[in-house]
Amino acid sequence: MVAKGRIVWVSGPAVKADGMSDAKMYETVSVGEAKLIGEVIRLTGDVAFIQVYESTSGLKPGEPVVGTGNPLSVLLGPGIMGQIYDGIQRPLKELSKKSGSFIGRGITTTPVDMTKKYHFVPTAKVGDDVQPGNVIGTVKETELIDHSIMVPPDHSGGKITKIVSEGDYDLETEIATTEKDGNSTILKMYHKWPVRKPRPYQKRHDPTIPLLTGQRILDTFFPLAKGGTGSIPGAFGTGKTVTLHQIAKWADSQVVVYIGCGERGNEMTEVLVEFPELKDPRSGRPLMERTVLVANTSNMPVAAREASIYTGVTIAEYYRDMGMDVVLVADSTSRWAEALREMSGRLEEMPAEEGYPSYLASRLAEFYERAGRVQVIGSPDRDGSVSLVGAVSPSGGDFTEPVTTHTMRFIKTFWALDAKLAYSRHYPAINWMNSYSGYLSDVAKWWSKNISEDWLNLRGEAYGILQREDTLKEIVRLLGPEALPDEEKIILEVARMIKIGLLQQNSFDEVDTYCSPKKQFKLMKLLVDFYKGAQQALKDGASLADIRAMSVIGTLLKARMEVKDEELDKLDQIDQIMSEQFKSITGVKVTT
Amino acid sequence: MTSDSRLEKTVDKILNQTENELLTSLKNSFEESKETLSKSLNSLEQEYDRIIDEGKKESEKIEKKIIGSSDLESRNKQLLLVEESVEKVFDKAIEKISSANRNENYSKLINNLLDESTSALGTTDVIVYTNSKDKGIVEPLLSKFSGSELSSETIDCLGGVQVKSKDGSMTFNNTIDARLERMKPLIRKEIATKFGIGN
Amino acid sequence: MTTQGGVQYSKIAEIKGPLVIVDDVENAAFDELVEVLTSTGEKRLGKVLEVGNGKAVVQVFEGTTGLSISGTSAKFVGKVMEMPLSEEILGRVFDGMGRPKDGLPDPIADKFSDINGEPMNPEQRDYPRDFIQTGVSVIDGMLTLVRGQKLPIFSGSGMSHNILAAQIARQATVVGTKEDFAVVFAAIGVQYSESEYFRRSLEESGALKRSVLFLNLANDPAIERIITPRVALTAAEYLAYDLGMHVLVILTDMTNYAEALREISAAREEVPGRKGYPGYLYTDLSTIYERAGRLKGRKGSVTQMPILSMPNDDITHPIPDLTGYITEGQIVLGRDLFRQGIYPPVNILMSLSRIMKDGIGEGSTRADHQEISNQNYDAYSRSQEVRALAGIVGKAGLTGVDLKYLEYGDDFEKDFLSQDIDENRKIEETLELQWKSVSMLPKNELTKVKDKYIEQYYKEN
Repeated sequence: MVAKGRIVWVSGPAVKADGMSDAKMYETVSVGEAKLIGEVIRLTGDVAFIQVYESTSGLKPGEPVVGTGNPLSVLLGPGIMGQIYDGIQRPLKELSKKSGSFIGRGITTTPVDMTKKYHFVPTAKVGDDVQPGNVIGTVKETELIDHSIMVPPDHSGGKITKIVSEGDYDLETEIATTEKDGNSTILKMYHKWPVRKPRPYQKRHDPTIPLLTGQRILDTFFPLAKGGTGSIPGAFGTGKTVTLHQIAKWADSQVVVYIGCGERGNEMTEVLVEFPELKDPRSGRPLMERTVLVANTSNMPVAAREASIYTGVTIAEYYRDMGMDVVLVADSTSRWAEALREMSGRLEEMPAEEGYPSYLASRLAEFYERAGRVQVIGSPDRDGSVSLVGAVSPSGGDFTEPVTTHTMRFIKTFWALDAKLAYSRHYPAINWMNSYSGYLSDVAKWWSKNISEDWLNLRGEAYGILQREDTLKEIVRLLGPEALPDEEKIILEVARMIKIGLLQQNSFDEVDTYCSPKKQFKLMKLLVDFYKGAQQALKDGASLADIRAMSVIGTLLKARMEVKDEELDKLDQIDQIMSEQFKSITGVKVTT
Repeated sequence: MTSDSRLEKTVDKILNQTENELLTSLKNSFEESKETLSKSLNSLEQEYDRIIDEGKKESEKIEKKIIGSSDLESRNKQLLLVEESVEKVFDKAIEKISSANRNENYSKLINNLLDESTSALGTTDVIVYTNSKDKGIVEPLLSKFSGSELSSETIDCLGGVQVKSKDGSMTFNNTIDARLERMKPLIRKEIATKFGIGN
Repeated sequence: MTTQGGVQYSKIAEIKGPLVIVDDVENAAFDELVEVLTSTGEKRLGKVLEVGNGKAVVQVFEGTTGLSISGTSAKFVGKVMEMPLSEEILGRVFDGMGRPKDGLPDPIADKFSDINGEPMNPEQRDYPRDFIQTGVSVIDGMLTLVRGQKLPIFSGSGMSHNILAAQIARQATVVGTKEDFAVVFAAIGVQYSESEYFRRSLEESGALKRSVLFLNLANDPAIERIITPRVALTAAEYLAYDLGMHVLVILTDMTNYAEALREISAAREEVPGRKGYPGYLYTDLSTIYERAGRLKGRKGSVTQMPILSMPNDDITHPIPDLTGYITEGQIVLGRDLFRQGIYPPVNILMSLSRIMKDGIGEGSTRADHQEISNQNYDAYSRSQEVRALAGIVGKAGLTGVDLKYLEYGDDFEKDFLSQDIDENRKIEETLELQWKSVSMLPKNELTKVKDKYIEQYYKEN
């Protein structure tokens, strides 16, 4: 039975309808004459509480509400890549064809072009036994994405009784038929999956491979692992969005899902304008070919903002199931939490801290739990990962507010943005004293194997200098820098150099925007070597002024912008010059 | 008299000295004032330049202002003229309506108005108000709307009806005046277009 | 527009704060426009906040003062609030609800538009890229304004935000174009003198005929302030997207807007967020600020410059805080600079223009623009640190380089930051002044600019 009711009450995105005893929780419904899309979020007697994903302006009591029988789902199949969707997987390009520059209401479209033909190459044959997750064929979705056509996770499995031969087919073509216990099922290139239900996997792996982003402070100091979780909280103007854009651009994953959740419209436009022009540093193809955008900007309906997170993560899991590494970036989880709060308020639920519902923490936990590097279901055996990075926009930049504190419980890498750093134009404004990564020792093996066995030590030394500077700063604040002995003044000096030459990174500079692991390591080594050289030089009788006057300092600090990834031998030359300059101020050859 | 002459001498001396001092101070002050004058001439010139400069800026401002506001003023006059003609057309229309024949067509119109009103209120259990002129036309029509009554009170309007639910909680104003008022923005646009103004 | 009038309901259940709750309502829609009629025949406007189970909660814009339970009735008009629009709105003065305030008739409408607007499809936005020269060095040089941007001024009571906004409105041009532009000014609960200052400034520059003014003054109804920015933006969108003009919208003071919103929320007994402001303040503000932008295939643009006064100069207060999360940067005025008599008293370190990078550089301003501006930020930030240090340990405790930074800071404030209220500097002058300031520092301190630019622009002393 499909529920058929009548609106009895409207207030903003919240609608109550009676006559809904046949409705199910989280079922999608069509609301009003305008056929707006809504979802049932509470049932009391025959009254359904519905959150509506479109503007309810003009909606009247008495108008009809009709159930669809299905939970809120996304369509998964070729054609998703490169799209920009709203919070409920409606392609914004199609919407603009139907309603122009502004978003109209009650428009239905399919998430992908159902008539577009893809070249299907079967990898299974008649008679094969298939299980959920098995790959039965592939299509080339974009130049970057070989899209596996899989048996859906909720399929009962069985024997293939029919499968099409290699050729061009559209999404509605019946490409295969399976049979089990006399029941036959038809498979198409797509299936649907409810967004609030995590897609199953076989088993979880430890996150030991770093997710390389080309951002020095992230990769070198506070790394994220593939399949890991990270959070980036910060007051406005601290550069959250720029950092997230950088991750989306340069992360070494095959797929990026970018969720603009309650954020600025122009930021999504920026991604749309920029990504097709930017080339993936590994494949040389436009970044848009591996990116899916989910855009529910701040002024779009608030309920769809709540859904957008789930829409995004379900798409991410789908590509993970093909054996790919996927990064999902959500900007901002605070706006999603606010959407929860607004609906909770309209439901007149008992609020917890700052008006947020008491289930905020469990919802956050559920979301971050969908990250992971896993062995996916079905054959052939394959591993995939979903890494989750969520921005948090704490009100007033206060990290003790509920969304930040709850998030910190469920993530392992914490990149704390700092308004003071941003004010002094230290970008990325990630505070190195307040940030942490729980993956450091996990990914150290990778660095040791692929870059240098010295990596973890050197990182420790560089970080140590920063830590010592932090303590010394207190003394300077009270007594001035002249109160320190020279060997401590050098610490201040080198810490400043680490900040300018390593931690700072200009996302808008052609060279500096992406830094390869090798360059990261070499820059760090140069700075640590400089520190050691300077301490030695002091012992050998050089003066602080001599060291400060070394011309190599300027070169060193600009190396991040002036030395391209393909000319790293220039960094070795700088090392050479540095040794010589130390030698000339002390008269002793300094070994580094 | 010696004492006198000594005194005189002293007085002379003092006078003499004072005279000298006076002379010097006079001379000094003359010099000073000369200097001051030459200085102030300098600053006067600067002041003069400044005033001229500011005056220029000011006059530029005033020029811009005058050009801007004269454009605006003439546009605003035009707006008022259009409005005047619109009002005239309205007045004529109202005159025509109020003096219109209460014929069969008019009775049809009233019937439509009653229909619309009762369906908006969702009931025919209503009291109907109209003006004294239309009373005779409204009354026979009410038989079609069961439960409806004509109020003994009349209201001041051009024509049409005002319908009220019997409990007094809902009213629907469907007088011709109210309808004209609702239509006014559209009618104004039409008239203005006919005058070749607006778009 | 419909010829169908609305039903008038006269069973008023409750009047509280700005709300009127009407009983036995059969036929009302969410968001619908309501005419509230008083016993004396006065007509006030409102809208439906909540409807159902025979009740409608109506928010009355002109306030509920003088309304009574009996004798008041509410007419549900059957449409949302609309603004009549035509080219004639230019040069006109309206009240905070969009009704003529200049003694002239209603504009003869070319079209009627819903004052709430509709969300722009992000896919249909055109990314802002055109550099606007405001003639104010600190903005052009370091906080560049771009067409279609939303860049607020965060100020405090008594500071010179209005003077600055008026100067920008007078001087703003896109270099090398002769395109139509217009100014839409919305006064939201500000004093007469402030709005008059703005009007006069537009008049004196001859820009009044290209301006539309919406005035809700301090003594006008508070709840009307919910409408004022919306009618202003509806007018701006019409001028931009229907008539192809480049529109600069100035909204002052958004703090008064947020307070009106808080008043309504309190009357509805909603669970408050921070400082009593409703939890949906962010979403609500975004429906105003996100109406800035450009659209693909349309000529015009809407650039927003909202002004808000930070209560107690506190930038973490919910109003500036949530605004900053939505707008594309902020221009923050500093009390210290203001006290020193510096105009414009812009605290550059706390200020930011997010899309500056896309409006500057080769082909629009100059190739070194981004880097020289980064260098000035860096140097000024360092100079502030040194100043603070000098305050503790005295100048004697400073190194030679530190002293250079002190000099730099003074020069920057005196020659680059400061300018006259009618001084209109070209971008070239602005860039020269930036180089002049950083040239007070030794070359090897300039870590943010490429060597080739140093060779080209550094001024040897």
